[in-house]
Amino acid sequence: MKRPKSSASISAELKAFLESGVSVVVGTRDAGLVPEVTRAWGLLVSKDRKSISLCAPLATSRKTLDNLAGNGEMTVCCSLPTSYKTVQLKGPCVERADPSRAVERHREAFGGLNERIGFPCQRTETFWRRELESSPALIKLRFLPEQIFDQTPGPDAGSRL
Amino acid sequence: MSVPSVLTVPLESIGPCFEGMIPATICSCSREGTPNLTYPSIVHLLDTQHVGLSYQFFNKTRINILENPQAQVLVVSPETLGQYRFDLQYVRTETEGPSFERMKIRLDAVASQSGMSGIFKLRGVDCRPVTSDCRAEAARRADYLPELDFFTERLSACGDLDSLLSAALEALSSLFGCPHSFVLFPDEEGKHLYTGASHGFEPSKVGSEVPIGKGMLGLAAERRAAVRTTSMKREMILTRAVRSAIQRRGELTLLEKEIPPPGLAKAQSQLILPLLVRDELLGVLCLQDPSPGRFMATDKRVLQIAACHLAVAMSNIRATVPPSRKIALRRKGALSKRSSVVKHYKSDDSIFIDDAYLIKGIPGRLLWKLLQAFVGTGRMAFTNKEIRLDAGLRLPDIKDNLETRLILLRGRLDERCEFVRLVHAGRGQLRLEVHRKLRLEELA
Repeated sequence: MKRPKSSASISAELKAFLESGVSVVVGTRDAGLVPEVTRAWGLLVSKDRKSISLCAPLATSRKTLDNLAGNGEMTVCCSLPTSYKTVQLKGPCVERADPSRAVERHREAFGGLNERIGFPCQRTETFWRRELESSPALIKLRFLPEQIFDQTPGPDAGSRL
Repeated sequence: MSVPSVLTVPLESIGPCFEGMIPATICSCSREGTPNLTYPSIVHLLDTQHVGLSYQFFNKTRINILENPQAQVLVVSPETLGQYRFDLQYVRTETEGPSFERMKIRLDAVASQSGMSGIFKLRGVDCRPVTSDCRAEAARRADYLPELDFFTERLSACGDLDSLLSAALEALSSLFGCPHSFVLFPDEEGKHLYTGASHGFEPSKVGSEVPIGKGMLGLAAERRAAVRTTSMKREMILTRAVRSAIQRRGELTLLEKEIPPPGLAKAQSQLILPLLVRDELLGVLCLQDPSPGRFMATDKRVLQIAACHLAVAMSNIRATVPPSRKIALRRKGALSKRSSVVKHYKSDDSIFIDDAYLIKGIPGRLLWKLLQAFVGTGRMAFTNKEIRLDAGLRLPDIKDNLETRLILLRGRLDERCEFVRLVHAGRGQLRLEVHRKLRLEELA
């Protein structure tokens, strides 16, 4: 895993947003700078608001895990389905661990938010089952965000928070 | 998900993934090795080997792929909810051509509807050959031949525009499962479209107008191009996000008024098809549905064939000279004891019945002429041909417009006046039915 420089501070407002049931995707890259994207669940901000943990399905994340083991470069993008408010966090992955119970809470919150825009909860459940159909195993990743960006669609996308 | 080294499945087999119903994610990587994600995004299917990424604003993905041409996309099928990852290689950026124009019309339509035509502009399209994929499913094949067969048969049986439009919209509902539809016609000045016929709307929408060149309907008419929307709710969320950002920056002068979506209050899917014959715009057909994803690429192809056939049938009816036989039915039977006042304002040819607005412009002028004949001589029957030849009506020299105006007038009377009816009485013939004593007043 990569050594961190200095982690960015996560405000209470941002923590609430990140843990609200947003859609979460993780980006990594290999030694040849080939990017890899995967979906993640159960995002939690640590009590000191310096690090973030999330769980990636093993079935869809083998290349992601290899990339993180090789260089640790990690990017996480979180988007609220009901408004497309989007935040991107970049920093090193510092730990792999067993999954947390936050995944269940995230699934429920994500399903509830999508239901508000006309995507029924049972469809979210189907989505979830399909992602895990070849393996139900999840792995927890902890990373230290060093840079945080507003990624909401529009003229301010890409500006630092 | 395994990642084979070559493309094994035609991209069109998972076409619904590229409809923008579930946002896609694009992952790129800078020269220094920092990954970047762009979400929510729409990835456009260009052909069996290429996809396109459009960009409008500052875009880190674009900067990255110019430095490091490798990227990966994660898309989701709205039908099966299966996910697909594609490794991409950037090859070129297009700023013109068919792919660019196809994406541009869609983006321009969304921008115009949301009052942000100065903001949402397609800057370019990145085209990439797909180097790998991760999962594939059988493509949905639609066989609509019997429905198209019935559709053309029903239209062939119609001898006038009114019955043609009624038959077409009813057949779109019963054969193709499109219960909410309307047809708009361009006015003589080419500035507005007005609704001449509708199906599955209460009230009927007949007579409602939209400016040509504004909003999705107006833009489809102006560009003579189909505009398809698979998820109006998501589109609205996206445009509201951008609008809010513009407002936060204080750049309010960039924003125009949002145009409320026409038709169904909760429409999620919309397909707008210009009715063209030899590049002449005869009208616009709009289909709406409350479910997202109702009009996918395959549906559009099929319904475009139906729309083409409707346009040709409209053109044929216009070219047919109606019989010139005059029928002069006279008023018979007792009128109701109640009476009403019909006012005609010459300045804009607007008609008010008992001070309630009914219609204006050419249909207003036309109704006034018919009512004058009825009140003056008791005449009830008229022919299209005599109306066309009546210099006093100052009809524009466009053959089809009389029929479309009559359809509009008939619809308005049906909706807003219970004692005056304009009845289609055979090919090229009209009958005015009035069930109340009328007093006519002409005003400046």
